[in-house]
Amino acid sequence: MPVLEVENVTKTFTMNRSKILVLDNVSFSVGEDEFVCIVGPSGCGKSTLLRIIAGLEKADSGRVLFHGQPITKPTQKITMVFQLFGLLPWKTALENVELPLEAAGLGKEESRKVAKEYLKMVGLEGFENAYPHDLSGGMKQRVGIARALALKPEVLLMDEPFSSLDELTAKTLRKLILDIWREPELPTNTFIMVSHNVEEAVFMADRVIVMSSRPGRVIGEVKIDIPRPRENHLRSPAYFNLVDKVVEILEKDAVTETKSLPLPVRPP
Amino acid sequence: MKLVGGLFVVCVMVWLIVTFVDYPEIKNLPLYTFSTVSRIIVTLLISVAWGVSFGILAATNKWASITLTPFIDLLQSIPILGYFPMVVGFLFALGPLGVELSVIVLFFTSMAWSIFFGVLGAVRSIPVNVLEAARSFGLTGWKHVRHVILPAITPAVISAANLAWCDGWFFVIAAEYIQYKGMVVTPPLGGLGSLLARAAYEWRDLNIAVILLVYITFIVVYFNALTWHRLMEKVNAGTFKPVFSVGLSGVGKIGITRARRLLHFGRFHWPRAFSIAFQRLRKYTRIEKIIAVALAFSAVFFVLYTMLGRLPSLEAVRGGFSEPPAQELVQLPVLIALTMARLTVAYGISLLAALVLGVLAAEHKRIAAVLYPLYDVGQGVPILALFPVLFLGLNQLVGAPRLALEITCIVMLVLDMVWYMFLNVVSAVKNIPMEVREVGRLFGFKGLKRITHIVIPFILPSIATGSILSWGTGWNTIIYAEYMPSTDPETPPLSVPGLGSLLDKAGYEYGNTVLLVFLLGVMAMVVLSMEAFVWRRLLRKFEKYHVEV
Repeated sequence: MPVLEVENVTKTFTMNRSKILVLDNVSFSVGEDEFVCIVGPSGCGKSTLLRIIAGLEKADSGRVLFHGQPITKPTQKITMVFQLFGLLPWKTALENVELPLEAAGLGKEESRKVAKEYLKMVGLEGFENAYPHDLSGGMKQRVGIARALALKPEVLLMDEPFSSLDELTAKTLRKLILDIWREPELPTNTFIMVSHNVEEAVFMADRVIVMSSRPGRVIGEVKIDIPRPRENHLRSPAYFNLVDKVVEILEKDAVTETKSLPLPVRPP
Repeated sequence: MKLVGGLFVVCVMVWLIVTFVDYPEIKNLPLYTFSTVSRIIVTLLISVAWGVSFGILAATNKWASITLTPFIDLLQSIPILGYFPMVVGFLFALGPLGVELSVIVLFFTSMAWSIFFGVLGAVRSIPVNVLEAARSFGLTGWKHVRHVILPAITPAVISAANLAWCDGWFFVIAAEYIQYKGMVVTPPLGGLGSLLARAAYEWRDLNIAVILLVYITFIVVYFNALTWHRLMEKVNAGTFKPVFSVGLSGVGKIGITRARRLLHFGRFHWPRAFSIAFQRLRKYTRIEKIIAVALAFSAVFFVLYTMLGRLPSLEAVRGGFSEPPAQELVQLPVLIALTMARLTVAYGISLLAALVLGVLAAEHKRIAAVLYPLYDVGQGVPILALFPVLFLGLNQLVGAPRLALEITCIVMLVLDMVWYMFLNVVSAVKNIPMEVREVGRLFGFKGLKRITHIVIPFILPSIATGSILSWGTGWNTIIYAEYMPSTDPETPPLSVPGLGSLLDKAGYEYGNTVLLVFLLGVMAMVVLSMEAFVWRRLLRKFEKYHVEV
């Protein structure tokens, strides 16, 4: 039984009075303990898709089922990590993690205890009272991760969580996320990540869902069967083959798109 | 087409007023309208020319920046209406032309500063990579200004000019109905401001005053909506977005993204950006401060010199301090406290009103749909022109002139201050980044929790800048609002005790320049120390609240 089922989701936006089809009949499902990456060119609606799953946006037609129940509004069982961290700058790291817990109905002391625990887990012990302003990008994203996990959700959504970080920091945080995913003690086991970085997706996911742009459609799915931990396989042919396979699907789509454009004219 | 319609409405209004109002002076309404409008347009052109050239100079030349900026900042922070009597005294010596000139000078002082600071901010926020690219392609000197700087600052210039246009109308009564040494001087070509003032002060005819006020407001609001808004839309649409739609933008990191959004802010434009306040308050080096003080001293010295025609000898100074209204100086601390109290009350009311309305407008689209057009019209009302009308109405209502003046004073202040607060609050609420909103929803902040944890903290910096601006304009208005002139020699002018009214007495009634300068100095000190001790600290504190987008 899948945890999440996306069924025929379609979404249009109105911009300058003309309608733009962003998501066209998107369907897929995600099983328990699965790590799924959605990959696509920018503007393919993958972030919108993630927001529909989170209950932040409504689909025009189609639906998203969570354990068989349609999602209509945000729930604590599905939380999100944002590309630009989404921290409240007027709250300390601790308060940023603590507040959602309080909003969820936990007592003040209990919230504080849980928040501290999770900050420690993401390696921010000693930075509880720092403001986002004083933290580096990587540290900010660690706070974002702690905040999302502290609610003990079943599903964690990540919207390009590493794309505003430098490569070295991203590498460390990818490992942190994978460690969290594999940690049996934590209730959060189902991860969905949106990315435009194919190497990253193949490195992290069990399955990569490839989307086309404008309108966003699912144009392929690649199962990643490289054994974990994958650090040791980063130079293996299997890894490169899978990366090539995903890139191929993306490029094929890009070619059909550019066919409709006029050929470049050679300057005289 | 719309222009023709607007002109038609104006003509009909003129015809109606001229036909049905039987004061002989009203017959000159077309001429008065023409002279006021052309005065403001001429001044606007002068201000734009001055503001753009000096703004670019101050932004690009280090020495100009060190010398010009603090000096103009100082001029700006002294309430215009305060030093006006001195300028007038000097220019009146030139006869009728001098009177026209002094009217234009007052308009200029109400318009030029905001254009200057708008241009300064816009030039400074042109992205470095654009400047570097221009340099690497060999654009220098005039070519650089013409092809890079001017196009980049056009939106800022236009929105600043629009502000200036509104500001000019704001001062229309003060500028065209000048009291000096107990007499009233109006420009020889007449004007709408002097007509309205006469209707209210001399004829004491509430009906005509209201009619004229509506007439003036229509001109301001209609042409505002017609020309400026359209011009701004055009400029924004026609420029290369990611780089050049920089408006009156902030300094440094607040920069482009934010400013761009502010400019695209729904139906209304973005006047007097954060930038001005930030620019003024943020970072002056010690050298700049010293230079500012030195310049201020020499400016005062210069003015005194020209006013008195000689160096201010000890005698002259002593004379100034012994002539009336010097006897009231004993109560100076009380007067300052009273004026501060009025400003504080008005500020409190405006803050509350702006917060409630702003948050409501942000949370409910329907309320916003009603409030925004209201805001547009309200912003166009020349508030100073409202003063006599309001006073007349209230006086008839309560019967006690002093009480009526006290209430009028506070209402005027509120009307004046609330726009700045409201604008800042609403634009801030509208600019809460998508991600912050989503975080709020995703993590279950609802109702009051949402407002206290997300909305209010996010808008605090804008509340601080709004406060600075509204206190600034408040100080200016209070000089006018504490004092009700009288043209009838039998009845003495009416005033409520305060720093503003004392200044008016020194300037208008007695022409005591020494005392006037002294009081201006006192006022400037109060204003500047409030900036230093309250606002600058607040801004610095809120700096870290800035959300990266």
